[in-house]
Amino acid sequence: MTRTIRLVIGAAMCFSFSGTASATEGTTVSELISDSEAIAGSEVTVEGELVGDYGFRQDGWMWTQLNGDDYVHFPILDGGEPTGGNTGVGVRMPVELGQGLDPPGGYRNRGPIVMVTGVWKHHDPARQGESYLEATSLTIVESGRPRSQDPQWLVMLVGLGLLAGSLVLWRTSRRD
Amino acid sequence: MLVKPTKSDFRVIAYYLGRISLIVAAAGCLPLLWAVLTAEWHPFGSFLLMIGVFTSLGVLGGRLAPRHPKLDWSHGMVVVALTWLVVPLIGAIPFVLSGHFGTPLDAIFDSVSGLTTTGLAVISDLDHLATSLNFWRHLLQFLGGLGIIVAALTVFAGPGGITLYFGEARGERFLPSVTSISRFIWTVAAVHLVVVVAAMTLVGWLVLGFEVHRAAFHAITMFLAGFSTGGFAPQSTSIGYYHSAIFEGVAAISMVAGVMSFGLHHSLWRGPRRDAIANLETRTILSTFGFTLLLTLLGLASTAAFTDITGLTRQGFFQIFSAHTTTGWATISSTELSSWGGLAFGGIAIAMALGGMGNSTAGGVKALRIGLTIKAVVDVVRQALLPERAVVSTTYYQSGKRHVTHDTVMAVMTISLLYVALYLLGAGVGVAYGIPLQEALFESVSASATIGLSVGVTDPSMPTLLQIVFMLQMWAGRLEFLALFSLIGFFYAAVRGK
Repeated sequence: MTRTIRLVIGAAMCFSFSGTASATEGTTVSELISDSEAIAGSEVTVEGELVGDYGFRQDGWMWTQLNGDDYVHFPILDGGEPTGGNTGVGVRMPVELGQGLDPPGGYRNRGPIVMVTGVWKHHDPARQGESYLEATSLTIVESGRPRSQDPQWLVMLVGLGLLAGSLVLWRTSRRD
Repeated sequence: MLVKPTKSDFRVIAYYLGRISLIVAAAGCLPLLWAVLTAEWHPFGSFLLMIGVFTSLGVLGGRLAPRHPKLDWSHGMVVVALTWLVVPLIGAIPFVLSGHFGTPLDAIFDSVSGLTTTGLAVISDLDHLATSLNFWRHLLQFLGGLGIIVAALTVFAGPGGITLYFGEARGERFLPSVTSISRFIWTVAAVHLVVVVAAMTLVGWLVLGFEVHRAAFHAITMFLAGFSTGGFAPQSTSIGYYHSAIFEGVAAISMVAGVMSFGLHHSLWRGPRRDAIANLETRTILSTFGFTLLLTLLGLASTAAFTDITGLTRQGFFQIFSAHTTTGWATISSTELSSWGGLAFGGIAIAMALGGMGNSTAGGVKALRIGLTIKAVVDVVRQALLPERAVVSTTYYQSGKRHVTHDTVMAVMTISLLYVALYLLGAGVGVAYGIPLQEALFESVSASATIGLSVGVTDPSMPTLLQIVFMLQMWAGRLEFLALFSLIGFFYAAVRGK
């Protein structure tokens, strides 16, 4: 229920962007990568999960990665199918925008799913040819949450059994 | 006449294979410990199982040992070839159980790619992988780069050690004993580990603004991949994840250390230092690096891919540096790399095919072979221009003055041609599956020369046959054919010998 409410709020907030910005709605991370040059300099709005790290740098910018692949909505740990590699781009935002975000996605956490609006920088001369999204605003579509994975008891037992068996065999060979 | 291997031969091989398995089991304790420290109990079970299987093999091998196991040349080669088959198979257990691979073959592919220091990957959702598993991926590269056998020889050498050493494509003997060489290699690695990991952690923490423990995690994994010229990275966007020229610079130190032959490390550490510049191998790699860099920069400039010189230089330089050192990290996406046509694409492909130095962690044809091939070709031209009875004698410097002999040229040409054949094999299979020639050839060279740069062909949806061919290419390319042919010969003799 909470998730549905968040999604509705998120969707409503996204809708509000259409009236206030000239952002290219519905751009995907894949498109940023495949049509990088064509989109260069445009203001875009992209949805995805923030993953990896939040790098708060001395120059007033925060760097992170925005993933826009199948695992944003169907993570492997939650039963999603392994369908291939991640699709992500670097995002740079003013430090203030990155404050207070839930921890980024990784093994321990599902990162916040956000809607980022910003300018796509393709081979930015100011950053020696890097390509990235320079965010001007960010909306949280779904909060991040901690994740856990149960231990594999049977696998552990088999492993321990093999080690114990090896030890017995080794001791027997030494006696022989 | 082929001599059929006896039971004793099989037992000697099983014995040495077992001993090496025990060494890898010990190495497997590191990710196990990592899993304990980070409370990642799911992968913990996988590591325990993997260690159990390696240990069982080790103990069983010990039980099979004849009274006085004596390792001859063919045994050694077969042990090396089998080691490089068995270790990635068992080492893939944690990957299979992680759920991040569509099929067990995918998991084995990444394990082979890791151990052979290639860096091509078909893992799904790397960005959510457990850190202990991510560490294991990188540790596999480190073990493969330094050599599993070298690791084993540090602990036990014995009379057959030199066979095992050469079997793992280590052709240089710069110290009197195999044990001393192995220990020197590990010392070099350990010193670089401390220095580079400390530097990367500081950069990650102070410059990139990561949390300290995350900075250390990135530093350790990136060092393991960089020094082994492996090319795995803890995040899906490779080294481009860091968006930092400083971080790339520090990472480049580990790449340079990895691409240098351990003989050269020895010269730099203990003299004579003039070898570092005087050696044919060093001069060749510097020349080919300059040549391929020029090609790539000209290619990028002609396509106007970058609007300014700093972007063109940094991006072009890093990609060619990564290709020539056979590391395979990229600061750009595979989609963008595949769009670099013409000279830039050619420059990178040539750099990959040529590879690094011999007796290093790098792959490819290797600089010394390239240098000697060029000298041989020049000789042929000189001979053709001189009177019929004139004798052309050429020397080169490689830790001392040496003559270019017929035997040397034959050996060099044979291995170089085998590499070319290997490059064409994967490209041919790729083309047969409808992949454009340029992309198929690029990816095939990347697999054979153990690079890891990709233009998008390597993917979980790739044809199974192509995936298997790429694995064979990585295996053959890493071992430089000798052990592979010995294994084939051994099994052929077992079936057809008398």
